[in-house]
Amino acid sequence: MEEKKRILIVEDAAYMRDMLVEMLEQEEGSYEVVGFAVNGKEAVEKYKELKPDIVTMDLVMEVMDGIQAIRGIKKYDPNALIIAISALGTPEYKDAALDAGADEYLWKPFTINNLFEALERLLRKREG
Amino acid sequence: MIKGLNYKFLILLSTVLACTILAFFVGFIKNETIVYTHFFYVPILLAGVWYRKKAVFIALFLCFVYILVTLFSPHAELYVHIFERSAIFVAVAYVIGLVSEKRAKGEEKLKETKEYLDNIITSSADAIVVVDMDGIVRSWNRAAEDYMGYSAKEVIGTSNKNFFADPGEAEKIMRIVQREGELKNYRTTVLNKDKKPVHISMSAALLKDRNGVPVGTVRVSRDITKEVELEEKIKEERDNLNQILESMDDGVYIVSKDYKVEFMNKVLIDALGYHVGDICYKAFHNRDEPCPRCKNTEVMKGKTVRWEWYSRRNNKTYDLFETPMRNINGTISKLTIFRDISDRKRMEDDLKDAEERYRVIFEHALTALCVIEDGEVVSVANKEFETLSGYSREEIKGKKWIDFIADQDRDRVQNYCVERRKGEAPACCEFKFVSSNGEIKHVNAWIEPIPGADSCIASLLDVTELKRKEDELRETCEKLAELDKMKRDFLNVAYHEMRSPLAPIVGYASMLERCELPDKGKKYLYNIEHSARELEKLINRMLELARIDGKKIELSLEGVYIPEVVAEVVKDIEPEAREKKQVISMAVQEVEIQADRQKIVAIFSNLISNAIKYTPEGGKIDIVVEDRGEDIRAYVADTGIGITEEHLPKIFERFYMVDTSLTRKSGSLGLGLSIVKEYVKLHGGKVWATSEIGKGSKFFFIMPKRQ
Repeated sequence: MEEKKRILIVEDAAYMRDMLVEMLEQEEGSYEVVGFAVNGKEAVEKYKELKPDIVTMDLVMEVMDGIQAIRGIKKYDPNALIIAISALGTPEYKDAALDAGADEYLWKPFTINNLFEALERLLRKREG
Repeated sequence: MIKGLNYKFLILLSTVLACTILAFFVGFIKNETIVYTHFFYVPILLAGVWYRKKAVFIALFLCFVYILVTLFSPHAELYVHIFERSAIFVAVAYVIGLVSEKRAKGEEKLKETKEYLDNIITSSADAIVVVDMDGIVRSWNRAAEDYMGYSAKEVIGTSNKNFFADPGEAEKIMRIVQREGELKNYRTTVLNKDKKPVHISMSAALLKDRNGVPVGTVRVSRDITKEVELEEKIKEERDNLNQILESMDDGVYIVSKDYKVEFMNKVLIDALGYHVGDICYKAFHNRDEPCPRCKNTEVMKGKTVRWEWYSRRNNKTYDLFETPMRNINGTISKLTIFRDISDRKRMEDDLKDAEERYRVIFEHALTALCVIEDGEVVSVANKEFETLSGYSREEIKGKKWIDFIADQDRDRVQNYCVERRKGEAPACCEFKFVSSNGEIKHVNAWIEPIPGADSCIASLLDVTELKRKEDELRETCEKLAELDKMKRDFLNVAYHEMRSPLAPIVGYASMLERCELPDKGKKYLYNIEHSARELEKLINRMLELARIDGKKIELSLEGVYIPEVVAEVVKDIEPEAREKKQVISMAVQEVEIQADRQKIVAIFSNLISNAIKYTPEGGKIDIVVEDRGEDIRAYVADTGIGITEEHLPKIFERFYMVDTSLTRKSGSLGLGLSIVKEYVKLHGGKVWATSEIGKGSKFFFIMPKRQ
């Protein structure tokens, strides 16, 4: 059996954190939520502390936004895997997130299938 | 003289004594008492010849002696004879004296005349030479000596042939004098003693003896060397003058006092033909008498005139310059120079016309115009300038240009004027204008240097009102821009905030799908998911429009295969049509265009879902795309309720709703068509629609295949 992928959820809205946890619990065997962060600053700190396999990163947050957090994490660990998740749908934001180092972009609202597809693409990319 | 007198006087006295004695003695011898008085006539005659009228005194003396003698004689009867004879003596003496005196006077005169003539000949400035018929010089006066260098002694008796530069001249002159009897002002050249040529003018006459036989010629000659040289010089100058006149562009002619053409230069001959020798008014004007305006008389009096003459015949105007010219022979001719000034005249007239036209334009221009001299003083202004400045024309004239400019703008405007004159500044300059009552007006000024003068023309447009409105407008625009930005910011935030709550709805619903649900539950779940998707679309459209307004749209162009796009869109929304039992038919030509794929998808998606929405159950929807070479034409037709003509032009406007009740029923905010229009426009195409109420509508667009 494969090792569970450890996931850090960065999200300022509690209901979104809850939902992501619920969704990931559906694939309990593969994914394990190891921690939360509610802003970018905390995200970078938590990443350094927990060293998760995957980070889900909201873009619009207080204190430090997601784009900066992605840069901070990638600077610390260029191999970090990050999925940017945002309701901001314009191509500029998507491009900005990908430029900062995000590996996937998930557009709110998304279905559980959308989430797992994105995670699988991410892992395939890593293995490939 | 005294000796002569004594001598004559003694003879006379002796004669008187002898004759008296003889007269008495003869009587005494004959023993007669008669005195032979006839002897008395001898001394009377002598005295008459020698002493002229004084002979009377001798006669009286003799009478006295005779009377005295007779008085002492005894023959008293003789007394009568005594007085008679005495009277006769005196009378005879007087007559003889008179005759003698007359003769003596004539001789004296003759002698004086001869001396006088000799003096003249000797002292004459002209050479007077007498030559006999053989050509031998017989007389040679002092003047001849002077200019020939030969003395009279040297030449008298020699042939005159030797003196002429051309020896043939001697004979020629003789011939002419013989034939004509005289020769007048004949010019020839002689050689003086130094063999230098001397020009002379000779007059000669034939000398004849008492019987009329010619014996020689007398010749009077004058040295005219200087005159001849002068004449040659004059002739040379005259030739030069003629050459100048010939080569002049202006017409030149010379006429004599009696209107005879003496000279015409080439220009004139070319224009009028050769008329030298003709009478000017006849040749040039076809008149029988001098032209009425002719200035010949004035010029002959020594006046120089200049006047303009218009020739009706060839419709030309000439500038005439006429001046007297003294000829060699002392006569005066009129020199006329005339210049064709028709072109100048016409140009002057044209200029006058143009000036008048420009004056009218200047005066009635709707901008205030003025002329600034030397960058300082205003010299001319038009009506509008009066209105602008509030000064009258008289007040403006001479006013300083700087006085019309508000203090704070003066330096700037003056610099502008200087640079403008150098051609370095832009044409327009804005400044504050001060009018007569101190009111400040904003003007746009165009300052244009007048070529060739130290002045420029300023044209001023009062933009005070315009500027006020512009400011108002700018303020409004700024406010609007701010509002617009606020709106876009709001929409961006609203978009984010509206999508965020959708996330758990869609997310949990998708999780619910994985759960075991009763049939009703499944149906409810489907409805939730459907509504969530609709809501998401609506929010997306709002975002799109916000972005279009913000002009943030950039097309990312790629090759878009139209049949594939249409199929994709139809596949996506077919379930809705199927629900309403509608039939979708497609006639899409195989064509690829260069476009932004997402936008093309949105265009078809909006048009087709609109058609589905507004078409009742069981209707028909046609999708047609034609390849027209340079562009494509597409339309989506429905069998819906149709749109009235009144609404048709407005349906592409944002938030435009044909019918609120319908809108409510169909759940649209009227954004779809607006997005279609914007996207088609972005691709350089256009949209329109046609409709028939109750039958359906057709929505068209055309779009170029290449951007």
